[in-house]
Amino acid sequence: MADHDARKGKVLDAAPEEKNTSFIINRRQFIQATGAIGLAAGIGGLPFNAAWAAGESAGGKPKKGGTLVMDVQPEPPTLASYISTSGPIGEVSSKVYDGLCEYDFNLKPIPSLATSWNVSSDGKTITFKLREKVKFHDGKPFTSADVQFGIMEVLKKYHPRGINTFKMLEAIDTPDAHTAVFHLSTPAPYMMMALSGYESPIVPKHLFSGTDIRNSKYANNPIGTGPFKFVEWKRGQYMRFDRNPEYWRAGEPHLDRVVARFIASGQTRSAAMQSGEINYGGFAAIPYSDVSRLTKIPGLAATTKGYEMQSPIIELDFNTRVKPFDDVRVRQAISYAIDRKFVIDNVWFGFGKPATGPINSNFAANGFYTSKVKNYNVPNGAEVANKLLDEAGYPRKSDGTRFEIVHDVTPYGDEWKRFGEYTKQALAKIGIKATLRYEDVPTWLRRIYTDYNFQLTSNWIQTLADPVIGVDRLYSSWSIRKGTVFVNDSGWSSPETDKLMKAAAVEIDPVKRAALYHKFQQLVVEAAPLIWVSELHFVTVYSTKYKDLTVSPLGAYSPFNQAWLSA
Amino acid sequence: MGLVTERAFYVVRRLLQAVPTILVIVSLNFMLVHLAPGNAADVLAGEAGSATPQYMAFLRHEFGLDKPLYLQYVDYLKNVVTLNFGYSFRDGMPVRELILQRLGPTLLLMGTTIVLSIGVGVLLGLFAGTRPNSFRDNVISVFALVSYATPLFWVGLMLILLFSIHLGWLPTSGMTNISAFYAGWQLVGDVIRHLILPAITLSLFYMALYVRLMRASMLEQSGMDYVVTARSKGLTENAITFRHVLRNACLPVVTMAGVQIGNLLGGSVVVETVFGWPGIGLLAFRALFARDLNLLLGIFFIAACLVIFVNILVDVIYTFLDPRIQLR
Repeated sequence: MADHDARKGKVLDAAPEEKNTSFIINRRQFIQATGAIGLAAGIGGLPFNAAWAAGESAGGKPKKGGTLVMDVQPEPPTLASYISTSGPIGEVSSKVYDGLCEYDFNLKPIPSLATSWNVSSDGKTITFKLREKVKFHDGKPFTSADVQFGIMEVLKKYHPRGINTFKMLEAIDTPDAHTAVFHLSTPAPYMMMALSGYESPIVPKHLFSGTDIRNSKYANNPIGTGPFKFVEWKRGQYMRFDRNPEYWRAGEPHLDRVVARFIASGQTRSAAMQSGEINYGGFAAIPYSDVSRLTKIPGLAATTKGYEMQSPIIELDFNTRVKPFDDVRVRQAISYAIDRKFVIDNVWFGFGKPATGPINSNFAANGFYTSKVKNYNVPNGAEVANKLLDEAGYPRKSDGTRFEIVHDVTPYGDEWKRFGEYTKQALAKIGIKATLRYEDVPTWLRRIYTDYNFQLTSNWIQTLADPVIGVDRLYSSWSIRKGTVFVNDSGWSSPETDKLMKAAAVEIDPVKRAALYHKFQQLVVEAAPLIWVSELHFVTVYSTKYKDLTVSPLGAYSPFNQAWLSA
Repeated sequence: MGLVTERAFYVVRRLLQAVPTILVIVSLNFMLVHLAPGNAADVLAGEAGSATPQYMAFLRHEFGLDKPLYLQYVDYLKNVVTLNFGYSFRDGMPVRELILQRLGPTLLLMGTTIVLSIGVGVLLGLFAGTRPNSFRDNVISVFALVSYATPLFWVGLMLILLFSIHLGWLPTSGMTNISAFYAGWQLVGDVIRHLILPAITLSLFYMALYVRLMRASMLEQSGMDYVVTARSKGLTENAITFRHVLRNACLPVVTMAGVQIGNLLGGSVVVETVFGWPGIGLLAFRALFARDLNLLLGIFFIAACLVIFVNILVDVIYTFLDPRIQLR
């Protein structure tokens, strides 16, 4: 019944009558499985273990063919991942654009467009050997000129994070077509963590050179070197990507097609997952409340892997500029009063792990994380909190309260409202009367990051691939920047922690760098400019017919070249 | 002057009168949307999860947010007059193009809903009204009451649960089967399959309203003198109902339908969200939360035009239903 002329590649013996996409696949060893286990073990306390384990079973050879329908939420505003880091863009652009590197579950760079690299002993010169015989989707070859142009002229100038990541990068030399030499003014170890096709996509020089980068006609018609070619974007409905037959990894990708659908309602997404109309939903596209029900259905499973380079932390941010939060004892008291486990289990359906400080425990993989910090997550928290507040000079008045505050609730969904209600109750126990305030996203952003007109707000921040990229912005004095969102809103900084961050940013010895971050974590946790509540676990729900979907810490942001359909 | 010419003149005059109305509406819209705190640059940078001061400054400049408000207003008026609604920086394409892409699905859903809700509403109202307080009337009235009182999104989800998941007859969401690549009649059939659930969901609420209205209107008309006259003339009950009462009873329904076109756009946001229907309501919703003001104002403009147009249409329809009504 269906027209197959639009399908490319091999003939499919799929049954197109099925209302869901159906296909064929092929398989490949899930090499990273072993690496992943170490990390998963660190996550701990996952609900629904059975469904989880069923996910990425190895064995069998990957089959060719098939369509993967993923839900991307919300619909991306553009496809120009080289100038916008808006979350959903990465889920689609990463299928089209490659970066110099990919990453394994130990957060180590592995080859992609670069086959090898060599860092000089002073850390200021990095020589990349580039892959040969790689073609852009328009047939033109990929060379070192594309790397030079893409990073110096596009990412360094226009990418919201690239401006910082490549700040120390002074020039890229191209001695031959397949060698790129990066010259840095100071060592920048974090730069090696930011070279994925999601974070630093390499765009073709021949299409972008001499044009207005911000208004390129290739923004929504992307041409990359990745496993899938962009075909069309029906706004409000879907984006379609077809197999790139000339992809540089021979025999990949296995899927014929990846389609990204946009469904605004979480409940409908769950229903579509159940009926098989979508096969993959990352970044909690499926509401947390539906995950346990869906994973009980045969053929569906969930995983919290694939977000190790996002590492979001749920926080409560103080405005340390205003009383009473200028007093560290008050901040510590409130931190003691929050029962992290209760919040995770009851608000986020178990999807999280109590956070201990500014650096996510995912960074245990490369040694940056330490748990040896002041521990606020103690059983007698309320007691300690009451004592601290008495000491700070906020005794209980005759009505039992100490003072009143307005607690802003970050406007990113229902869970946050629940969390706000919990916080209100937790504060009431220690004599603080909180009134909740709900606003929409633009109003809230303006209040927190421009007007600084708040006392305590819930918030969440992705600590990303390296502390320099994701963590420094919340605690450094140079990140107190009025009008810039998701930077230092608490207004807290200290000369000592500033110094540690600066030193760690240029330290190329990983062991010494880790030591600097350990000290940093101890100091920041002691000062408590924020309360670190939970390391939020995003969850991917997917159909188990599809294999090797989550093969790197970039999860939904990875190219899906290894993914295949088994039945 | 013939009736047709009279109608044509009337429509032209009303269209001319609509021009200042629309100008007032767009000016009010402009002021309203600028009352909301926060701006597109904040949101875009917020979505990015990170931003540098240079990037924020660039965004504000690009969006014209660094200009004084009156200059932004002048720019906006120029855009409206030339029917060029500016550029949506968030979506990276002209607003006109964005709206045109979504207008088709919206009109399809709205049109189906109007036909379905008025058609079924009038019919059920007629059945109920001709036998007041009978079993038939009670069943219809309860059905209307329940439909009216149930939230749209809940109805939508329940229909999905029943028809998509349990029975597997219809798709949960979207407008076409994205992996089938249908063409021609198969495509039409596919779109209809996707249209059924959202159209029914959106229709139920309005239908309930029209049932109530039609029933009341039927009861009122059936007590009028002309009905007694017709009956004494020896006309059958069916002839009285269909030739005389029905036409008169339809007038309030038509009036109500005209007023509700605007609401229909609003209600469609919910239905578009639940069913992933690629319409204009969802676009407006997103534009609001992204403070994409060019896009939002463009949609408001289209909505205003639509409402005015439909109201003119309703006035013309009156003259067909009741020739005594004169267009002035």
